[in-house]
This record gives sequence, C-alpha cells and structure tokens, in this order.
Amino acid sequence: MDIFLQQMVNGLTIGSLYALVALGYTMVYGVMRLINFAHGDLVAFSAFIGLSVYAQIFGESATSLIVVITVFVFTAAIVAFVGVLLERLAYRPLRTAPRLSAVVSALGAGLVIQNSVMLIWGPNMKIFPSNLFPATIWEMGGIVITFTQVMILGVSSLLMVGLYFFIHQTKIGTAIRAVAIDQDAAKLMGINVNRIIMIIFIIGSALGAVAGLFIGTYYRGITFDMGWMYGLNAFVAAIMGGIGNIPGAMLGGLLLGLFNAMITGYISTQWAETFTFVLLIGILVLRPTGILGETVAEKV
Amino acid sequence: MKKMFPKLTASLAVCSLVASASFATDMIKIGVQAPITGQYANEGQSIDNGVKLIVEQLNAKGGVLGKKIEVITCDDQGAAQQAAICAKKLVNEGVKAVIGSYTSGATEAAQTTYNRAGVLQTSDGTSDSLIAHKYWTFFRNSFPNSAEAEYTAKYFVDGKKYKKIVILSDYSSYSTDLADATTKALKAKNANIIYEGKIKSGTQNFTATLTKIKSMDPDVIYFSGYYTDGGLLRAQQEQLGIKADFVGGDSNDNPDYIKLAGESAKGTLLINVPTPDILPYDIAKTFLVDYKAKYSMAPASIWSLMNVDGLRAILHVMEQTKSEDTKVIAEGLHNLKDFPGITGPVTFREDGERIGGGYMTYEVQADKSYKIVYQ
Repeated sequence: MDIFLQQMVNGLTIGSLYALVALGYTMVYGVMRLINFAHGDLVAFSAFIGLSVYAQIFGESATSLIVVITVFVFTAAIVAFVGVLLERLAYRPLRTAPRLSAVVSALGAGLVIQNSVMLIWGPNMKIFPSNLFPATIWEMGGIVITFTQVMILGVSSLLMVGLYFFIHQTKIGTAIRAVAIDQDAAKLMGINVNRIIMIIFIIGSALGAVAGLFIGTYYRGITFDMGWMYGLNAFVAAIMGGIGNIPGAMLGGLLLGLFNAMITGYISTQWAETFTFVLLIGILVLRPTGILGETVAEKV
Repeated sequence: MKKMFPKLTASLAVCSLVASASFATDMIKIGVQAPITGQYANEGQSIDNGVKLIVEQLNAKGGVLGKKIEVITCDDQGAAQQAAICAKKLVNEGVKAVIGSYTSGATEAAQTTYNRAGVLQTSDGTSDSLIAHKYWTFFRNSFPNSAEAEYTAKYFVDGKKYKKIVILSDYSSYSTDLADATTKALKAKNANIIYEGKIKSGTQNFTATLTKIKSMDPDVIYFSGYYTDGGLLRAQQEQLGIKADFVGGDSNDNPDYIKLAGESAKGTLLINVPTPDILPYDIAKTFLVDYKAKYSMAPASIWSLMNVDGLRAILHVMEQTKSEDTKVIAEGLHNLKDFPGITGPVTFREDGERIGGGYMTYEVQADKSYKIVYQ
C-alpha cells in the first residue's frame, strides 16, 4: 500500500509539472487555434535563465526564501517577455495565414530558441545548485516526500487554482473567454484582441518558466534539448484533457504523470511510453475532444 | 556568444591547415570521432584535447616518418546516425587512423565503414560486441565489459557478500552489454539477483522505478549506464530513503556524476580502472601536467587517456615499421608487446582486444575525493 501511495506522490509531482506546461499549450490553442510548439523549448530556456539569474544576482552562495522568490519572479518576467516577443515575431504576422504556416513557424521558433540556448550556455549539461530549497525529507508510514516535492505540488496547485479564478471571476478573464469563443464578436464588443493574446502569452510563458525552474531544482541537471521531452508530454496531457480547456490541461497533466508512474512501477519502463500513447489514442477514439472536452458554446 | 569566437578561429585555423596541406602533401591525417556536443560532451572534448596535445608535442619534435600530423575532428554527438556520417566524412578526408568514439554505440556504427576503407580505428568502447566482427582495423584501447563484470561479481559476492542485488541499465549498447555480462558473472557465482530493470536515459525522473525497487529492500543497486543518469538515480534513491549501497559501473566515473548527485554522492561506490591521478607511470604524470598546462583543467576521465594510448601505439608502430600502410601498421600493432602506455602496458590480442584489466572500487568521500576500497 505504501508503495502505491509513494507512486502516487511520484506521479503527482511530475504530473503537476506537465500540467503547468500543458496550460501554456492549451491557453494559446484556446485563443488562437495554434499549437505553440516552441513552448517546450521556452521551458528549457527558463531553466537556464533561472540558473543565470541566480548566479548573477546571488553569486551561488546565499539562499533564503527571498532569494528563491526573486529568482522565480525575475525568471518568469524574462520568459514572459520572450513569450510576448515570440508571439509578435513568429505568430502575429501569420494570424490570417493558413494554419499550417503558423505551425511551421512555431516549430521553427522552437528550434531558434533551442539553438540559442545551446550557443549561449553551451551544449554541456548544466547543474543547478542543490541548496535552493532545504533538503528536508518527511517520512510518514513508509511514504517519503521531499521539501521540493511539496513546493512543486503546492505552488503549482496554487497557480492552477489562481488561474482558474482569474479566467472565471475577473473582467480580463471574461474577455479571454470571449476571444476564445469568437474573435470578431469580441472585437465588436470593444475587446482589444491583441492585448488579450499578449496576456495569454505572458501567463502561459510565466507558468512554463515556473515549471522550468522546478525541473531545474528537482532534477538538477538541465540540457539545452530537454524542452522537447517535457513539451511532448505536456502536449499529450493537454490533448488528453481536451485542448483549449484549462481544467482539462490540469487534469491531463496530473493523469499523465500518475499513469506513467503506475505503468513504470507495476509493469515496466519499457512499456510506459507505449501505454501512454495507447491511452491517448483510446481517449481520442472515445472522446475526440478529450476528457473534459473543448467548450463549444458558453454564455459570458 | 562567447562560444562562437573560438569556433570561428578554429575553423579559420582548419582552413589554413587545409591550404598548407595542399602545398605540402606530406601530412599524415589522423581522425578523431567523438561526442564534442551533446550529453557526453565533456568526455568527447577531453578525447579531442588529449589527441591534439600528443600530436602537437610530436609535431614539435618533427612528426612521424618526417611528416607532420594533422588532426581532423568529427562530432558524432554520441549518436549512431551521426557516427555513420562521421565515418564517411573521415574516410573521404583520407585519414590513416581514427581515434574514438567514446560510446560503444557510436563506435559500432562506424566500425564497418572504417574496415571497408582500410582505416585503423581505436576506441575506448567497452561493449564485448565491438570485437565480435574480428575486424583487422579495430583496436580496443580499454578493457572489455566482460572483464569488468568478472571483477564486479567477485566484489559483490566475495567482498561485499550482498544478498539481494538489483541491476539497472539503460537501452544503450554499452549499458545493456555491461549489465548482461555482470548478470551472467553474478549468476555463475550463484548470487541472488532480485531485479533487473531498465531506465530510459535522459528522462530525469526515475522515482517510479526506484519506488518499485524500494519494495524489494535490496542490499545494493548496481547501475551500468552513464554518469548523466547515474547521478540523478543516486540522488533520487537517497530522497526516497532506499538504504541500499549504490554501485556505478565505469561510465559513472565522471566529475558530473558527483555534481548531479550532490550531497548524495558521498558513500557511493564506483568501479573503474585506475583514475588518471593515481596512475603510477611517469609518462602518465608528465601527460597530466602537460594537459593541465595547456587546457587548465584535468582530463574528464580515464577514457580520454585510453584513447590517447591507442593513438600513441599507432604512431609508435608507424615509426617502428616505417610504413604508412594500414595493413602493415595493424600487423605491427598485433605484434606489439607491453608498449608503455599512459594507462599501463598496451598489448593487443589477435581480435583487437586490449589485454589487461586491473579494476578498482572507489568510494566517494564527503569532500568528493575518491578512496580505493577494493582492488
């Protein structure tokens, strides 16, 4: 039983990272009908930015809560800015072009980011300092949970709940939902669509940045090409949950993480990926719009 | 951006080398096939650095057979596809011999091309399968996995008396081969292997596999893969509170293993041939001093030195046989007996296998240094 619970903890940790990344995919898709393939590389980029911010400002020695918060906020701000830049340069000029052009542009933008990371930080694996979070470990009835895991679970749930209320309770959130449903109608209602899209990219990239930093602090080794793997998993999570649907992305991420941990734990590593994709195909066959489905019509 | 500048000057230097080569055709070309970029970049760069250092020293003394040596490096990124491309490229460049690659997988993918072209190849790849073809062009400059497996089995059964053994590997040719050889050697000694598992290299999250292992309560977890995964495995093992010893195969012997594992590195056991700094030979000491003087760091691991020994043996035989014909050189390499190498005496068997061994187990100390615990 404790092994099962431990696998749940393992799965939820990686799952909430997938969920954070998946939100970036799903929000952009919801509003622009575009799969932002550069998002995974943006996540990898943010891990490197975080490392540099930390080394530049704090010289790799001091750590306290304030240091960590500063690193997270700075990194999220930089990555959000790059996300907005990405939209301006790679997606906005193609907004009226056929959808395929935008997807190709997204793939290209991903390569540009990945190679820039390689040129700036080098092709070698970089290693995150181990002292960002205290090395505290809690043990309860055979289940082990680390401080970093608690942080990952806590912060990502907080961000996800916050995002949900932001989308559903605020004026900007309502505007985002309106743009997602019908851009032209939203424009007629006096909503500045460009501004809304900018906000989407800010939020999506910042969430991705948080995920990237957590990947760095949890696994410690970061490489310039790791974005592809996290991007792919998060993309699968977004589709599972129903792409374009925000709670769907959260659910998809958590499910994917749990499913992967259980398959690896009870069957084998060899089969984890195969089963993941079988699950994905199964969901798509039974529910083409994902578990929670894409919202079709809604009164706002 | 800083990175681009040396690259530019390097390519300019290569251009000028090629230009001068076309005037003076009396150059002997030696290829380096190594992972200059990618996850094993520090090993690949170290091999390239080592080869260039030896060649530079030799050229300063007038080269070989009165000719200067030119080094042509090809980056195989540690991947089989890229290795095959490198092999064709180096053969087209007209190299006499190739040093590398670091991984067995990349070495194997290039072997046939070199053999067909009659180009000598010397690699530190430890997979037993590398000598399976019995190519006359191939010379292993390290010791095979089967030798390490024998040592590991002896250490586990006779030394440590482990009762419950877990063996983990990744999907690479080297890691699978080493895990299989170790399993075989352990079974021959009637050891109790309770789990044989695989991890996917580069996935970073190994907690699911480790949690499964935790339920089996093993005495030892043996990992036959590379340091980039080994360090994370060890860190996550400690996180999950699995009390078992962690023993890493030879490819975990890399400074990055210790960086990745962080505090958890302490107490882990690494099995490898002697590390560069404890090699007792005078040429080893001189080489390390020269290497540090030129690159202001130590070689990444023993593997670079193994490859350098391969190069030194080839150059020695060239001078000895006064021939550039690879058939004659291969013949000479087979006849070589106890050639004084940096990593110990070099002798090759008929199938290109290097004879010898001499494994050791190191325990990582709190200050990250190594202590020899079993020989």
